[in-house]
Amino acid sequence: MLSNLNLSLFLAYKSITKGNKGTLVLTIFIMSLIFVNLVFTASIFLGLGNTVNNQVINTLYGNVALEPKTDEKYISDVYSLKQKINSVPGITGISAQYVTGAAFSYKDKSGAWAIRSINPDDEITVTTIHNFMIDGEYLSKLDSDEIILGKEIPGGYGGDLEHLSLGGVKVGDSINVLFNNGVSRSFRVKGVFDANFQQSNNIAYISQKEMESVLGLEDKASLILIKTRDLGNEDSYIKQFLELGIKEEIKPWTVYAAMVKNITASFDMIALLIAVIGLFVASVTIFIIIYVNTISKRRQIGILRAIGIEGSVIMHSYILQAMFYAISGTIIGLFIMFFILKPWFIIHPLKFPVGFVSLLIVPEKVMVNTISLIAAALAAGLIPSWMAVRETILEAIWGD
Amino acid sequence: MVKESFTGIEKETLIEIRKLTRIYIMGEVRVPALNNVTFDIKRGEFAAIMGKSGSGKSTLLHQLGLLDVPTSGEIIIDGKNLLNLSESQKAKFRLERFGYVFQEYALLPELTALENVYLPAMALGRRKEEYVKNGTKVLEQVGLGKRLHHRPREMSGGEQQRVAIARALINKPDILFADEPTANLDSASSKQILELFQQLNRDIGLTILMVTHESEDRTYVGRMIWLKDGELAEQGT
Repeated sequence: MLSNLNLSLFLAYKSITKGNKGTLVLTIFIMSLIFVNLVFTASIFLGLGNTVNNQVINTLYGNVALEPKTDEKYISDVYSLKQKINSVPGITGISAQYVTGAAFSYKDKSGAWAIRSINPDDEITVTTIHNFMIDGEYLSKLDSDEIILGKEIPGGYGGDLEHLSLGGVKVGDSINVLFNNGVSRSFRVKGVFDANFQQSNNIAYISQKEMESVLGLEDKASLILIKTRDLGNEDSYIKQFLELGIKEEIKPWTVYAAMVKNITASFDMIALLIAVIGLFVASVTIFIIIYVNTISKRRQIGILRAIGIEGSVIMHSYILQAMFYAISGTIIGLFIMFFILKPWFIIHPLKFPVGFVSLLIVPEKVMVNTISLIAAALAAGLIPSWMAVRETILEAIWGD
Repeated sequence: MVKESFTGIEKETLIEIRKLTRIYIMGEVRVPALNNVTFDIKRGEFAAIMGKSGSGKSTLLHQLGLLDVPTSGEIIIDGKNLLNLSESQKAKFRLERFGYVFQEYALLPELTALENVYLPAMALGRRKEEYVKNGTKVLEQVGLGKRLHHRPREMSGGEQQRVAIARALINKPDILFADEPTANLDSASSKQILELFQQLNRDIGLTILMVTHESEDRTYVGRMIWLKDGELAEQGT
């Protein structure tokens, strides 16, 4: 048994090292490209989904968000609620917001956008909007009649929906905002931000104090954003909030990123389709190489069997060759992915409407792709080698 | 073990061939290639199977070498009918007890002469030092001691055939089957190969059964088995 394996390894090794170098290099090159194609497609889609998720967390909702109880418009006793939340280990930021719709107008242009009110000192502990100011400045706690706008609102800042904008508002200009409750205020534009996420860029922010004066409320909120130290443990935090007696609607960020789920499912389907085509190409390539090899060595295979070398030894030697092609292609593919493409995309990420997208290489997916490619190579090597040893010795030696 | 007197020296019977028949079925046509062939091969014999083209000589060699399955009959070695062995047992038997030389040398082009030769010994699970040593020795025996590390494409047809002979000898077979081993060679190389067979037969007592259609080859062999239309026509020394 062991001697048979040794002999198969010997025959495969000699065939690889002493065979046609050009064919060897080309085969391994094709395998590596197929592997890169498999991993790259999945990684770019995963990177895209990851970017959207990060944007939802960092520019819209935090890791966990509290909403008013059913049938209530606002969350009450926000101050004491924030203290309760803060008592949970791992909470790194809390920001209470009022969220409402409003009609914005500037000269003869107008439009409807969401407007949120914040305590800037709290907000920067949860979201990263303050890092994305492209003109003017971020809000400060004492601002009373100032507003910051997402880049889709003012116009002239390269927004994706320029035709719906206010048509050219600059920092320092005044715009009128008519709130849902009928109150109208004039605000000076203090800054414009670009979070690289269209949904976030369609929001305007004013200070908490300003909003409370508009709505005539105090110590209330429509939304409380909570930032946690770690990502992925939202359920554990939610459980602790419930244990503290918090009765508000508690939602993890994944609820708000639900739209991404559909996109991710579609991406997964596209990646699967590309993977299947790639694996098919890999199988056909290996099949042809092994098939041509066995056909050209048909007589030698017959002679080897005639002198007593078992057919299984010959078959295994070809399967080992196929495995070598696939494993070498995988190793080179991994090198290309981790040492060329990944660093390149970190420096040059792709710009999508959802933000800058880089590759997200997930080890489990890489493992699945590696196993798939090796399995495809195994099957592709098995069939022609089995065909080669299936015919009788005399047929192999003298042929038809 | 059957023993009988042959040319004055008592030799034991190595192979008993009994009523060997091989009929090829081609569509609805039955083509008899061998018909009730019965004879014995003695240990240490150098016999030639001769006959016209289509007489069944190669077919006979293939049956005896367990490369084909006869329609009926028996091939007995050590009291056992080899035709009852499974394919895997036949392969093992061929590896351990038989050596083959074909018209086509069929050496693996990726392997050196030495590697080609020790391949069957590797298949037997011998230790590396042992098969390298034996491979070298047997190549020296066939006069290729200085060509150990040459690949087949670097050797002449005669040299390649001698590598094939060395490969056939590495596992010290009981019998060497040679199917027209000189058909692809020039007369000088052919002479070398036949003299080598003669030498192996004489020096180490190797039993050789060779198919040939060259009548001049009869000068090298100790016994001739003539086939005609698939039947044993004549035997002689």
